[in-house]
Amino acid sequence: MTAVRDNILAGMARAPARAWRRRPGPSQRHRTYLFGLAMIAPALTIYVVFVIYPLIRGAIVSLYQWNGLTPTTTWMGLRNYTNALQDPIFLLALRNTFQYAIGVTIAKNVLGLGLALLLNQKLRFRAFFRTAAFLPVMFAFVVVGVLWSWIYNPLFGLADHVLAFVGIHNPPGWLSDPKLALWSVMWVDVWKWTGFHMVLFLAALQAVPQELYDAADIDGARTWARLRHVTIPTIRPVIALSVLLSLTGAFVANYDVVYVMTGGGPLNSTQVALTYIVQTTFTGDQVGYANAMSMILLVLVAIVGAVQLRFMVGRQEPARV
Amino acid sequence: MSDSLATVRSVANRRSRRNSSAGRQPGRDGAAGTRKRTFTAAAYTVMALVVVLTIYPMIWMVFGAFKSTGEFYTNIWGWPHDFSWSNLSQAWDQAGLGRKFLNSIIVTGGTLLLVIPFCSMAGYSFAKIWYPGRRWLYYFVLLGIMIPFGVTAIPTLTVTLQFHVFDTLQGLILVYTAQNISFGTFLMYAFFSSIPDELIEAAQADGCSRFSAFWKIVMPLARPGLATLLIFIGTSIWNEYFMASVLIHQNSLETLPLGLVVFTTQHSTDYPELFAALTIVTAPMVAVYLVAQRQFISGLTAGALKG
Repeated sequence: MTAVRDNILAGMARAPARAWRRRPGPSQRHRTYLFGLAMIAPALTIYVVFVIYPLIRGAIVSLYQWNGLTPTTTWMGLRNYTNALQDPIFLLALRNTFQYAIGVTIAKNVLGLGLALLLNQKLRFRAFFRTAAFLPVMFAFVVVGVLWSWIYNPLFGLADHVLAFVGIHNPPGWLSDPKLALWSVMWVDVWKWTGFHMVLFLAALQAVPQELYDAADIDGARTWARLRHVTIPTIRPVIALSVLLSLTGAFVANYDVVYVMTGGGPLNSTQVALTYIVQTTFTGDQVGYANAMSMILLVLVAIVGAVQLRFMVGRQEPARV
Repeated sequence: MSDSLATVRSVANRRSRRNSSAGRQPGRDGAAGTRKRTFTAAAYTVMALVVVLTIYPMIWMVFGAFKSTGEFYTNIWGWPHDFSWSNLSQAWDQAGLGRKFLNSIIVTGGTLLLVIPFCSMAGYSFAKIWYPGRRWLYYFVLLGIMIPFGVTAIPTLTVTLQFHVFDTLQGLILVYTAQNISFGTFLMYAFFSSIPDELIEAAQADGCSRFSAFWKIVMPLARPGLATLLIFIGTSIWNEYFMASVLIHQNSLETLPLGLVVFTTQHSTDYPELFAALTIVTAPMVAVYLVAQRQFISGLTAGALKG
């Protein structure tokens, strides 16, 4: 879903021009209007019914107590929201969500950029490397999650075996230690996506004009100065984009991997907002409550996205790679 | 497709030009040369490390699929000694993978059949047809990109119940289509915007109707955009788990990711068989990726690179 979000930026950069810039005759204009609406009608209808309407409905349902099946509902007002903000598991889940999102964002981008900088030179096998590093991006998160939960398995897992090979014979409980489990799951996310970010950065690096480096050389810039004053500022829009993609993605795309690997356990230590919301929905009378938590998450994601956009892209012209 | 190839080629040209210009400058001193060699050596080491870290877990998975239950726990990271092919066929039957492949194909294909024409038409409407309210509609559809669908999953479930498409493949197709409208429309909008208006005007002057100017003249030119759309949406739907797990509850309607998770949680003892199931599920994806990797890499990173 990542590339979906990068188009926020692309889309915003070039909104359609105002209508009536050119004015055909009146009857023509009428027909054009109808044609334009007819062309957009199918997309708009299905979008309104299955995206916008659920969103509105979710907001309404969040004000009631409801079991999701029978028509009887009880008005709750904002009590679902106040309850959510006092629910220790929900607060823990939010804390975990933030840790997850921020942690994987830093890791993916630092690793991705580091690899890209290292590889942005004439190297053999680079094409092969790119193919290999991008491979995990192709896999479903559940596939990756299942595979890594086996790698972490204490009986036959690869992780403990590698540790034993280098002489560590008391391996940690990757997924069973509440202090470690969330980090183990986050690593899987980093493993899957770093290749994607590396490819983005590599493409950006290759588009930095050689003239800039030549000019820096004339000014006597060393490697570090070149990096700081030429490379990083030039590819900054792509860095912003990449950070934004991973941050907003990590807030909501973590359900699959967490659910498959730990189901939120042990002791809720890997519970993220979405796993808790889904779990709540299917337990008893709590559909309204789950919707209220969804709305809180939606607002948080929107705030983070807006802050991100402002801080990193706001002062910058749109990305051109 | 041809567009992405051209991009790759031009990047390659630029790179070789840069390298040759760098080659003309002799190394300024010995220290710099040494540093450069160290840097290159470090690059190869890191490359090798990353390749092992990425590929080995998958090789391990394939090895595991061929090990007998006894060997599985003793020979952990090596080549399987007595190949037991029966794991694969057992996993296929036990997990009902045939049915799940079929469901995934129906859902992915059905969604693409709706998304591609709908998004093309809507993108064309925003890019090339002039009418009042267009900007507002554009922003309204743009909103969909910012809605994280995980958040609306539960209300979406209630809406599918209301329309009697809950727990059906049709329902899943409709929801997937709706959730991809925003992205698809903007992608196609970007492609159509780059096509000159004169082309459409000329076609209409030659007697094309409004629709046939779109369908016969403009659509063939938008093939690179359609390829990106196909790859991006196709991949994400083929891999989608969350919405499927919320909307599909019948065993016979499970898609591959959903079926895989159900299978691994229900039969969590016979590991070689589970490894075999995972291998079967990932194999087609890897094969398609290796054949068309360039298109996949450019398709999946397209949005960012176009920004």
